[in-house]
This record gives sequence, C-alpha cells and structure tokens, in this order.
Amino acid sequence: MKVMVCLKQVPHQDARLDVNSDGSWIQEDNIKFEINSYDTYAIEEALRLKDAGDAEVVVVSIGPDRVTQALRTALGMGADRAVHVNDDAAQGADALGLAKTLAAVAREVEADVIFTGLMADDDNASAIPPMIAELLDMPSATGVTATDVGDSSIKVERELEGGALEVVELPKPCLIAIQTGANQVRYASLKGIMQAKKKPVDVKTLADLGVADSAGRVHNKATINKIYVPAKGDTAEILEGSTDEIVTQLVGKIKELGLL
Amino acid sequence: MGTILVVAEIQKGSIRESSYELVTVARQLAESGGHDVTGLVIGSGVGDLASEFASKGAGKTLVVDDAAAENYNVDIWSKAIKAAAEASGADLILIANTPTGWDVAPRIAAGLDCAFVSDCFAIQSMGADGGNFVRRVFNGKLNAEVSTTGKTVATLQPGATEAFEGSSDGGTEALSVDTSARASFVEIKIAESTGVDLTKADVIVSGGRGVGDADKFPEVIQPLADALGGAMGASRPVVDAGWLDHPYQVGSSGQIVAPKLYFAIGISGAIQHLVGMKASNFIVAINKDADAPIFEVANVGVVADLFEIVPALTAAIKTAKG
Repeated sequence: MKVMVCLKQVPHQDARLDVNSDGSWIQEDNIKFEINSYDTYAIEEALRLKDAGDAEVVVVSIGPDRVTQALRTALGMGADRAVHVNDDAAQGADALGLAKTLAAVAREVEADVIFTGLMADDDNASAIPPMIAELLDMPSATGVTATDVGDSSIKVERELEGGALEVVELPKPCLIAIQTGANQVRYASLKGIMQAKKKPVDVKTLADLGVADSAGRVHNKATINKIYVPAKGDTAEILEGSTDEIVTQLVGKIKELGLL
Repeated sequence: MGTILVVAEIQKGSIRESSYELVTVARQLAESGGHDVTGLVIGSGVGDLASEFASKGAGKTLVVDDAAAENYNVDIWSKAIKAAAEASGADLILIANTPTGWDVAPRIAAGLDCAFVSDCFAIQSMGADGGNFVRRVFNGKLNAEVSTTGKTVATLQPGATEAFEGSSDGGTEALSVDTSARASFVEIKIAESTGVDLTKADVIVSGGRGVGDADKFPEVIQPLADALGGAMGASRPVVDAGWLDHPYQVGSSGQIVAPKLYFAIGISGAIQHLVGMKASNFIVAINKDADAPIFEVANVGVVADLFEIVPALTAAIKTAKG
C-alpha cells in the first residue's frame, strides 16, 4: 500500500508575527519554522500503517528551500521518501493551484491513501485536502480523530461539535484529513535522523508536474491583498502594578461578583 | 445580475442558525449588488424545512430530498451543491464553516474550478467578476483581506453575523441529483459522560498551552479552581498534548460554557476556544502576550507570567475566605 502525506512548513507557533513591507503576508526572515501541527498527526497516522507492516510512506511538501528541513524531519520520523515541489511560481498559486499540484504528485505516487492535516496553523484555511480528493475523484473525510484501515476501505471517526463523532467508511483510494490529538506523535530518533540523510528527496517543479500553463502560472483566483493586526476590542481592562497589586485588584473583582 | 446560492444545513430536525446567518449575508450582498438569492436544502423528508427556508429569507429554494441523504454524505452533498450551483447560475456559493461545511465546500470549488475562501467573518462585496472577503489567519492573531476572481465558494464563520429573522417569497423546486455514494455513513457516536460537567460550574479556571506541561495543571490551575469552589478546564492544545482528557476541553469541539466567572490562563484565544466561553458573565485573562486575542473577549486582563500571578491569587483567595 502506498501512503502519501502532505505536509506544510509553517512559522513556529511562538514566532514573532510582523507584517511584511507590502502588507501581503508576515515577515518570514529570521523566524523559526516547523511542521504544521495538524500535519504531524497525519505523519504519525501514516507511520502507524507502516509499523503494521505494509505501507510505503511518501511525504510531500510545496515550498522554498527551507522546506527541506521539514521533509528531513518527517523522514527522520520514519517516512520512506519525500517529494519536494520547489518552484517560485507556486507562491502565486491559490489553494486550488496547490491542490492541483499535490494531486499531480499523488497520481505519480499512485497513492492508495492520502493523509493530510485538517488545516494549517498559518492560513487556517482548511481548503486543500478536500480539493485534492475532488481532483482525484476519490472520497474524503476531514477532522478525523481515529482510523481503522482495512484491505479495501477505511473506517474513520470525524469530529463534529460538542463531543459528537461521525463514523464514516470510505473505500480506497481516499483522502483523510486528520484533526489534532488523533494520536501521540513520535519524535525523530537520532538513528532515524541519521538514516533520513540517505533517504531520497525528489525535487520537482510545476512544469515537471504539468500543472503550470505556458506562461508558468498556476490557478490563482483568490489573493490575499493585505493582512493586519485586528483592531482591539475595548472590553478588557488591563490591570497594572506589582504582582501583589494585581492580585488585590483581582480579589476585589471576584468579591464584586459575589463569589468570595 | 447573478445569484447567491445559500446552502442550508439541518441539525436535530431544524435548519441551523448558521444557515440563517448565511441568509443575512446573502441578502445584504443582494441588496447592494443586485443579486438573486437561492436556497438549497439537502436531506430526507425535508420538504417542510425547505418551505420554511424559502419563506424565512432564502426565497426560491432548491431541494434534494432523497432517503440516501438522511445523514450527511460527502459524495451526495458534493454532487447536490455542484448541481444547484449550475442550475441557479450562482456566482457566489455560501456555506457555513461547520464540520459539514469544511468537509464539502473545498470540493465544490475544485469541482467548479473556481475561487475559494474559507471561514470569512465578513464579505465586503461580491460581483460577477469576484468579491472581497475578510478572515482570520494565525489563529486569530491577524486578519486577512482576500479578493477573488469570478465565481466563488465561500464559507462563513458561525456567529459572524446575526441570523436572518424576516420573511421572503419563494417556493421550493426539486433538484434531481444522482445520490449514489462511495462514502457510507455508519453512525454518530456521542462521547461518554465522564463526570466532568463544566456547564454547571459557577467558576471555571482554564489553562492553555502557556501552562507548559501536564504537571502544572494540578500544581497551578487546579488549586485556583479549588480555592474558588470551581472546576478546572482547558483549551484544545492541552487536550491534544494529552495533558488533560477531552472532558476538560472548553470550545466548539468540547464543552460550551457560560459560568459567572471564567479564568483563561495561558490561553491565546483561538476562535474555537472563544466560541466555547465568550458567553461567560465575567472573563479574566492572564497571558504574557499582550497581543493575545483572548484580551478582546476578556473583561479584565493581566499581562504577566502566570506562574507569578496564579499562585499568589490562589493564596490571596484562601486568605480572604479565612
């Protein structure tokens, strides 16, 4: 069985978020990056199939040179090989443009199962995974917290609201977008990291995958014009002073509420 | 003049509030942009609900009424929405960003090869050549303005606007769709009750990722909850990391609470947490990041190290109680 995992490298959750000079995205120089938290659970879910004995795990990412590090981490965790789509033109793509790119990779990989994270920590878009499935004409399920993989189908639990779960069965091939907390994600061992250096990373361009037009462009019908810090609500009264002074004020508030 | 297609969602036998929020947005855009509004209802035995949707704001409403559509099914919904988009000539397809919405909406955009914007909280304009949308990025720390070209599928954040409460003229029209499906619904499971019922607590003290590790919850968070005679809660990252079990989780995928007093400690305030606690009577946020979105819903904020403030506050409350 061939299992493909799509992963995105995103700014570290504690990275400083400064808007860049043209206001279109954050300043990415000199900040740390990491694998999108949702995607780490997707990698783990794939590696559990490999541990069970019959899966080749291919990790795929789109992005600049820095993405190599994320792919190496996933290889260190146990993935077999990586595909790195490294092409400046991909920066001009919208979610559907990137989904077309990943669908083209999935066709080459001949993936039986595609795992992704539910969304990315940076754009919070939750867009690409079902798009890939639609483009490949396969069923999909999102927000998945548990999987039970059979020979010809996968039974999954999808997280709904208020603690409810929907159980759905999908025939293979299919795409499963994993929710955080679905499993306990392993770390790359030192041995794994050493072995990862010898594992293949296949670098591709959009032209290699046949997803760019003659001018080198990919699908882009949704563009971020600007990002900005939201206007602050005026509700929170910020308490100032020493720890003792702040605590005294808090105790006063709790007394006013009649809870002390 | 184009059409805005509004996709309704049925929950527990009724059309969801979030579907009527879509109607509000669609009607505002229709007035300023000269659009028609068309509804879509998908389900089994949903003729009455479709009539209700048609008369309470959606106007003309397409109905896919088929026994196979009794439960949500990604294949059937994909086909039904794409068929409705084509039948109505919609240039904007609006879907609520619920677990159903985020499961199906991107497929519609891919199937129609059009623009997609998810989880908007405002739609500024929509014309035949595209629209302008506002959404949150980086878990609410920043906003993004997105413009689209041509036909667009957009999902709207539940609660972003008021539900439409007026009336409208319009009948229903059956839409014939192939309801064969590859995905098959098995069952809905409700998480078993474990005795942690935060919804009855007067005081909830919740900790987030900023608390740092599992050991700090019994050391720092639980003692404050105990001192106030309240319950301990947590944000999603805490539960995902395995520091506390799911019953402690406050948020859209956990418990929805509205206590007299809510402490958000080391919680940045991702929207899915805010949804679960913003109805609280009084909210105290303690976070070292002054830009954390949690301060926008809090009544009182403390920008400081939680490990200095919380133990001192716990001691002071014990002293005050004598």
